[in-house]
Parts: sequence; C-alpha cells; structure tokens
Amino acid sequence: MATTDVAQHVREYELPRWLSDNLALFLVLPGLFFFLSFVAIPLVYLIGLSFTDAALSTMFQDAPGLWGTVFGEADFVGFANYAELLSDSQFYRSFGITWLFVATSVVGKVLLGVGIAMVLTHHWVRGKRLMRALVILPMGLPNIFTITIWRGAFSSAQFGLANQLLAFFGIGPIAWFSDRWLAFFTYNVTEMWLAYPFLVIITVSALQNVPTELHEAAKVDGAGFLSRFQHVTMPAIKRPVMFASILTAAASFQQFLIPFIFNRGGPARANELVLLYGYREAFEFREFGEGSAIMLTAVAIIGLFMIVAATKGDLAEGAH
Amino acid sequence: MSLLSAIAAQIRDDLKAIPEAVADWYHKSRYKLDLYRRGKIGFPQLVAPVVSSLGALVLVAGLMFPVYWIALAALSGEGASLYSSSGFRVVPDGFNPLLLVTEGDLWMGMDLSAFVWVIGDVVIPSLRVSIPFTDLSVVTSETTLFRAADYGVENPSDFTTYAWNSLTVAIPTVIMAMIVIVPASYALSRREFLMRKKVLYGYILFTQVGGGLGLAMLIAVFAIFAGLDLTNSKFALAVYYAAMAVPFNTWLLKTFMDSIPPSYEEAAVMDGAPPWRVVWEIILPLSKAGLAAVFIFVFLAGWMEFIVAQTVLRPENYTLPVGLFALIDEYSVPWARFSAFALTFAAPVMFVYLFAQRYIESGLSFGGMEG
Repeated sequence: MATTDVAQHVREYELPRWLSDNLALFLVLPGLFFFLSFVAIPLVYLIGLSFTDAALSTMFQDAPGLWGTVFGEADFVGFANYAELLSDSQFYRSFGITWLFVATSVVGKVLLGVGIAMVLTHHWVRGKRLMRALVILPMGLPNIFTITIWRGAFSSAQFGLANQLLAFFGIGPIAWFSDRWLAFFTYNVTEMWLAYPFLVIITVSALQNVPTELHEAAKVDGAGFLSRFQHVTMPAIKRPVMFASILTAAASFQQFLIPFIFNRGGPARANELVLLYGYREAFEFREFGEGSAIMLTAVAIIGLFMIVAATKGDLAEGAH
Repeated sequence: MSLLSAIAAQIRDDLKAIPEAVADWYHKSRYKLDLYRRGKIGFPQLVAPVVSSLGALVLVAGLMFPVYWIALAALSGEGASLYSSSGFRVVPDGFNPLLLVTEGDLWMGMDLSAFVWVIGDVVIPSLRVSIPFTDLSVVTSETTLFRAADYGVENPSDFTTYAWNSLTVAIPTVIMAMIVIVPASYALSRREFLMRKKVLYGYILFTQVGGGLGLAMLIAVFAIFAGLDLTNSKFALAVYYAAMAVPFNTWLLKTFMDSIPPSYEEAAVMDGAPPWRVVWEIILPLSKAGLAAVFIFVFLAGWMEFIVAQTVLRPENYTLPVGLFALIDEYSVPWARFSAFALTFAAPVMFVYLFAQRYIESGLSFGGMEG
C-alpha cells in the first residue's frame, strides 16, 4: 500500500470536523448536566407545581397517569396561586420588607466595609497587614455559626451581649426579637458583620492601586481630607465598590438564614424576607403550590440581578 | 504533603510577622521621635500614628468581639455565671496565668468542662482482624482514651455522631464533584470549543449572584426527593451538594490551571507525548495546590450546609450544622455548652478555609476573583 493510500485511509476514518474541533466539550458536559439536573429539572417542576393546588395531603399520593405520577392528587388550578398571591397582604409585606432590607443592609455594609478598608490602608496606621488578616476572619466562619452566635448576642435574657452593653449604660434588658423594627435592626447588624470582609478585600485592593503620589500631590495643592476623598479616592474605588454593591445586594435579597434562625421572620410574620416567606408557606403551612409561586417570583428577581451584574460589572473579566 | 508543609511555612511566616511588625514599629517610632527632637516635625505628626494605630486596634477588637465573647462563654464551664447579671468580664472565670507556674496547670485555671461535654467519651472500639489463610483472628479490646464522667460530665453531647454524619456526607460529595470538576476545568482552561465562554459565564454568574437559587428550588428538590423516597438519605444529599459545588469549583480550578505556563506542555508535545500524558504528568501535578483547594472547598460545602440538610434529614442523620441548630432551641442546654459546641464546629473550619484561601492566593495571581 502506498503512503498516499494510507493517508487517504486515515482521513476517511477521521471524525467529522465539527466534532473533532469541539471534542473538549465532552469533558465539560458531564459536570454541566450534573449541575443543570439540580437546577433545570427542579425549576421546571417548580413551574409545574405553581399551577397546582399541591399540598402535603395531595402531593405525595399516588394517582394514575403521567400527571398523577408527577403531581399526585394535586389538581391543575391555572393562575389561581398567582391571583391569590396578588390579593395576599403578606405577599406585599414580605416584598416590602425584603427591599427595605436590601436598601438598609447594602448601605450599612458598604459604609462599614469602605470605612474599615480606609482605616486599614492609612499610612498612619502601623501593623496594617496583621490587622487586615485578622479583620477578615468572619469570612471563614460557617454562616450557621455566625448567625447562631449573633442570635445569642441579641438574646432577650440579661446575659445577651447587646443587653449587657445596654446595662452598662443603665438601660434595662430589651426583648430584641419581639419588636418588629428592633428585630429588623438586628438582621441588619448581623448581615453587615457577615458581609463586610468581602467589601474590605475589594476596597483594599482598589485602594492599593491608587498611587501615593496622587495623594501627596493633592496635599501639596492644599486639598483637605474631604476633597482628597472626593477627587482621588472615590474615582479609584467607585467601579469595584459599585460592582461589589450589586453582588452584595443580590446576597441581601437572598438572605434566608438570619430571619430563619433569629425568630422565623417574626414577630407575627412582619419580617419574613421573601425566600423565608416561600419556605414557610411550603414547609410550615403545607401550601406547596403557593410556595412555588412565591419562589418563582424570587427566581425572576434573582434573574434580574444576574442581568444587572452581567451588564454593569466586570464578570466577563473572569471568563476569558 | 506539600500542602501541609506549605501550611507550616505560612504559620511560621505569620508568627515571624508579629515580632517583625513590632520591631518595625519600634524603629519607625524612634526615627519619628528623633525627627521631633530635632524640630523637623511638629507634635501632631509625632502622635498621629500612635493615635490612629490605637484607633484601628480598637476598631478591629470591636469587630472581633463577638467571637471573643463566645470563646469566653465556652470557657466558663457550666455557664451559670453568664446567666447572672454580674456584668462583664474580660477574662474567663478563674483564669490565672500564675497557675501555669505554681501548679503546672496548662489551662491556667480555666474551666474546660463545656468542651468535655462536647467531645464526650473517646473510645477506640474493639476490632476483629482475621489473619488470612488461617482460622485465627485477633480481637483487640475496647480502649477508652478519655472518659467524660471522670471530669464530672454526664450525658455528653451528640457531637461525634453529628460529625460522623457530616463526614459521611462530605466524603461522597468530594468524590463525585472532583470526578466532573477536574476534566471540565482542564477543558475550559486549555481547549477551545463551542459554548466555552457561555458555560464559563453561566458558572461565574451562578456563583456570584445566584446563591439563593438552590434555596428557591428547595420546594421542588424536596418534592422530587420525597417522590423518589430519598429523604433522610445522606447519599442523595451528597449528590445534591456535589452538583451545586460544580460551578464555583470548576471556575476556581480553571483559573488555577490558567496560571500554569503553556510552555511546559509545548515542550512535552514536541517530545511526542500524547494528550493524556500531558494531562497526567504535567497539568495535574502542577495544579496540585489548586486541586487541594478545590478539595477543601467542596468538602466544606458538604460539611457546613444547613438549610437543605435541615429540611431533608431526620434526627438520626443530623449533620453538625443541623445539630448545632437543634441545640439552640433547647433551653436546658447552658450557654457555655452551646458556645463550646459551636466553637468546636467552627474553629477548624475557619482555619482550614483561611489557609486554603491564602494558599491559592500565594500560588497564583488570582485574576477575576474580585470581579
């Protein structure tokens, strides 16, 4: 057999070009399918559930047919769940308090994070690196630990950290979780403590990119602290901090553990953030259909956050 | 073992940094003092660093105070003192460093009974080892290394049971996740193919913004698990965790592999190495640090997850976070014991996490982490 024949032979058995070019896709697909099967399948199922009157008593019963296998004895009710949500005052209360929480906690987190970062990069402060290493410790702590600890700190008993602090000023013990706005305040404090390390890391790395000459030059020109902050520091940290705020706003919107562990969104359902609202509707009041409708509304808003993050931020920088 | 030695080196560096910082501070202060004496700088410039450093220290101490407070509570033994309104203490009850010298008491008089309650008895169970090809077998006797009752603690906590449950969830999680993560991150880092950017972009988006999506799907996941009769199954939980760990960790390992210079592979290809050998003998050994970090992050994801575990598992299969939460509503559990339980759970996690974090950062210039 001549050499040309062999080459011809090999070529004929080559994979189609589009396939050989994309062979590496098969290394990614298992992981992708694995992941998507726990996001896409539940999502489709959630959409289906939101159109049924599924409750604990009907959902897990065996019923004939494909519908019966998937949804049990639950019936198709069309948009009834959504209509019910729109007439449910708890729905508006939950969304109202969730957006209020997003607003207050993001402002708090950004102010605290940027403030700490500015102190711990200031040229007067000695031992900055050690302090920075220490101050981001909360990031390594499990959320469940941090939140249960803060629950203890805001305990209504006298030994609670917050009440001991108040006792120092001569104010009597306070039942933090029994008042709507006090409970809301404790959520904010805890969320700030959970999230500030993230903002400190981002702000510190942005601040370190500011050349010290710029500050020196501004000082020589007689600029005070405020005008230096406005004209030198702000432009340098604006973009990263903006982007971090979007991410941390999304995190606030999806906060579940704090209200769940503190007082289950109480008192009297006043502080049920949206994910907790859907969770309780499904798992405590056994209305799986309505819970699914709430969760889908939340998913739609998380999707909006994703679009905002993708268009406003530098997400693509990581995907090169 | 390179990970362990790297950790040891980091601890050494950290410990060295403390006296160095003090020495540096001392020298700079002397320099400043000298300048002040010679009239080069005024009094405000002399004290400004001192005042602002002290201010920063107060700030850091204030931020860390809840952690310290919990450690204090855990070391207060039976916790009765914390229920009383005796006010605030800065050191644990009975703490006296002099005891280290006078009585050789390593714990300096602190009460560790809460930790004894957490750990409980430490027992090596009796083992039966059969010797092959003979009918003989060796049975070791049960050895008790540590008995809680000796220290006056009855009914120790279920910490070890919970820890065992967490371990049996986390290990399958790691195995399953690694199987799909490693090939995918290699492909994303080194190959060009259809949809590559879209997959990567989707992963990053999910990681950074969609943390609550899994929670929003919880109703459907629970219904599917219940329909398949998989509630209370630790393995089903592990499968779920492994799937949810894919986006972040694939992206992390991909970023790590990006930092390996392609010239190594080019050299191997020039020498005629087939692709699988390039991966096996060059890429994987060079990304050991990244693999270790991904291993740790996936393991911790399984070790620490609370919400899904709490919804799906029943008490006999509770993992550590669920066990911790179960304690908080039992008012019979003293605060000191609760604190000790929480700390025993969280402290190792924190150290492992922070070291993994720094290990990655030292291993590569981590582009894209912040954005």
